[in-house]
Amino acid sequence: MKTLNRLVIDAAYFLNSSVWYQKKRRFFSNLLENDDYKYKRYFDIFMILLIFSSVSILIYEVKKDVHDYLNIFNSYIISFIFFVEYILRLWIYSSISKVIINQDEYSDLLGKNFSLSFVIQRVIKDKLKYILSIKAIIDLLAILPFFHELRLLRIFILFRMFKLFRYAKNFHTFASILTTKKFEFFALAMFAIIVIFVSSVLIYVMETNDPNTKIKTLYDAFYWSIVTISTVGYGDVVAVSSEGRFVAIIVIISGISVLAFTTSLFVSAFTEEIEDIKEDKSIQDVSKLDRLYIICGYENIAKELAKKLTYAKFNIVVLDENLERINNAKKDGLLALNYNPGSVDSYKKLNVKMNTQVNAILCLREDDVQNVYTALTIRSLNKDVYIMSILMNHSNRVKMLNSGVNEVLYDKEFVGLVAREYVGQPVAFEVIHALRSDDSVINIEEIAITERVLQNFAFVSELDNIKYRVVLLGIQKKSKNRFFFNPIDETLLEVGDYLLVIGNYMFIKEFTKYLLTKVRDRK
Amino acid sequence: MKHSSALIFGYNEYGIEIAKNVSHKYKDIIIYSLNDVEESAENDFGFKIEKFDLSDRWDEIEARSDLESSMIFCALGSEANNIFLTLSLRSAFKDVTIISLANNKEDANKLQMAGASKVIPIVETTANIITDMLKKPIVTRVLHNILYENSALKIKQIEIQNEAFFSDRFPGDIEWSREYGVIVLSVIHEDMSGEFIYSAKAKHHTIKNGDIFVTVGYEEDLKEFEKLLGGRK
Repeated sequence: MKTLNRLVIDAAYFLNSSVWYQKKRRFFSNLLENDDYKYKRYFDIFMILLIFSSVSILIYEVKKDVHDYLNIFNSYIISFIFFVEYILRLWIYSSISKVIINQDEYSDLLGKNFSLSFVIQRVIKDKLKYILSIKAIIDLLAILPFFHELRLLRIFILFRMFKLFRYAKNFHTFASILTTKKFEFFALAMFAIIVIFVSSVLIYVMETNDPNTKIKTLYDAFYWSIVTISTVGYGDVVAVSSEGRFVAIIVIISGISVLAFTTSLFVSAFTEEIEDIKEDKSIQDVSKLDRLYIICGYENIAKELAKKLTYAKFNIVVLDENLERINNAKKDGLLALNYNPGSVDSYKKLNVKMNTQVNAILCLREDDVQNVYTALTIRSLNKDVYIMSILMNHSNRVKMLNSGVNEVLYDKEFVGLVAREYVGQPVAFEVIHALRSDDSVINIEEIAITERVLQNFAFVSELDNIKYRVVLLGIQKKSKNRFFFNPIDETLLEVGDYLLVIGNYMFIKEFTKYLLTKVRDRK
Repeated sequence: MKHSSALIFGYNEYGIEIAKNVSHKYKDIIIYSLNDVEESAENDFGFKIEKFDLSDRWDEIEARSDLESSMIFCALGSEANNIFLTLSLRSAFKDVTIISLANNKEDANKLQMAGASKVIPIVETTANIITDMLKKPIVTRVLHNILYENSALKIKQIEIQNEAFFSDRFPGDIEWSREYGVIVLSVIHEDMSGEFIYSAKAKHHTIKNGDIFVTVGYEEDLKEFEKLLGGRK
């Protein structure tokens, strides 16, 4: 027994520390359960297509013969895929190895013997919890048509439709919204059930002995009540006696009330939750974005900047604790969330990876205290993310830099620089502005030196920029963090360097393409 | 004797920054404040501070400054005051250059209507600079250093006085960077139309005296280059 225990524990530790196993487990867990995982959407679409094709074959089969291949596809292949999915879900629902390791550590701590039977009980309990869940039962019923020889089981193909709940997130949202009004729906249902029960009995008592009535049994009375209270009123079964008609009046009035209340409950549930739904949607959208810029605070400068960044096709999200400002951002067509930029929770809820997804965070409240607070909050979460902040009062510059801001933007200084342009060399400034303008055909661009460029070019002299009518203004050397104007021919190119070139944007495009084209391709 | 002055209306952070940035060009800089100031007061940077009010009495300014070569900056804290001041100055001095600060586009339009020669829209300017920094950080840093002379690199307008230098040669054919250590960005013709050095037009444009080269380079190289082209601007 001890040897078996040892074997089980060793196997558990092996699996728990196996990178390959954990990677596979994480992959399937993401694929099946993680809505933010990019491949889950494709998996869901694939499963939905399988469900629809399965049900379509069932409908077609009612009056026509289907090809054997289709039957095999429907009964075996689809069922097999569903079976594999069922087993995978069962596998990822709970980790057996973790249960074994926990039990081993627990036994070790208390100096007790490792109990395999306890582990088995615990694992069975965990797995049963999944097996008996509604979703898992639906999954299991959807596999049953595999035994298609039992004709009765073919109808279980329809259960596959219920699997749609699993793959369409909207159904989850719909169900969760309705659950917020659980009590009200329950009260209304109780009212309707009482009215149906009382009216069924009443109409049965009052009508059943009337020779002209069609209500002969309690079932007929129940059918009449349902048809009447739902305000459908087929007219195939009607009350004929005066007493019966009086009951009908009561049921009709109750029916209208039930219908009106139900409708208003749906509407109010959705109205109350609509903001949360929109917020969830926004968070989902944000978490999928790369090279993201987070704008904290939506005031004048933020508004103008957001407009320009949107035009330049930057991915931006606006955070502001003020609802009015957030509504303005939304009106301006931006992805905006009513979160406090100075709260750690806001960034956690945002669900973005600061190091890989966020290019920069811009603190743009026109209030130094708020921007310092926001910068400190962000720094407490992440040491490396690039933070820019506007500065309103010059005396706060040091505080702002100490709070972890990488770049301080002082609007008064900018105004001073523009004033300098007017009194300095206006023509030279205009030339530079024209180079930076998006509307100009002559641009100044940064070209990154990548591994690919280095495969073909080692020195500045090899670049051939003059042939492409592109001016090489200089090179920003990463290793020296310095700009070298008009670099000499022997300057060595390294990964991470940037060439600053000036020229017609078409020529720059061609030149960039030339740099990235392999020598052997060019030959 | 009348001076060429920079007259800055608005004793605030905008006014001080403007004063710092124009001090290399104007020896006589006065910052006017709407609040009371001590007689012959100076701020930490050594700029003269004087009191003024929004009445139409500009005799003192007219007496001390040569307004044709002076520049007036309207940088008061209140938008309404700024517009009123611009209007008042323009009605008093028809030809002076007035540069006014505006918070938004609406105010920029009003300031232009009031007679401002140039309007600096604060919000837009800030947003433009931040956008440039985000779009092309290296370009922005390098150009900023060149424009505002924070590095040894300079940008210079050089007027051509030695057109013989270009006999049978177009500016696009000369390798400026290799031969003279400078980069010529564009050529501004006498009619002030500008062409990028490698544009098709510039390639066929014969250089004449009076044309201006916008050139980037180190100071010494630029001086040598200027001597070569015989110009001074």
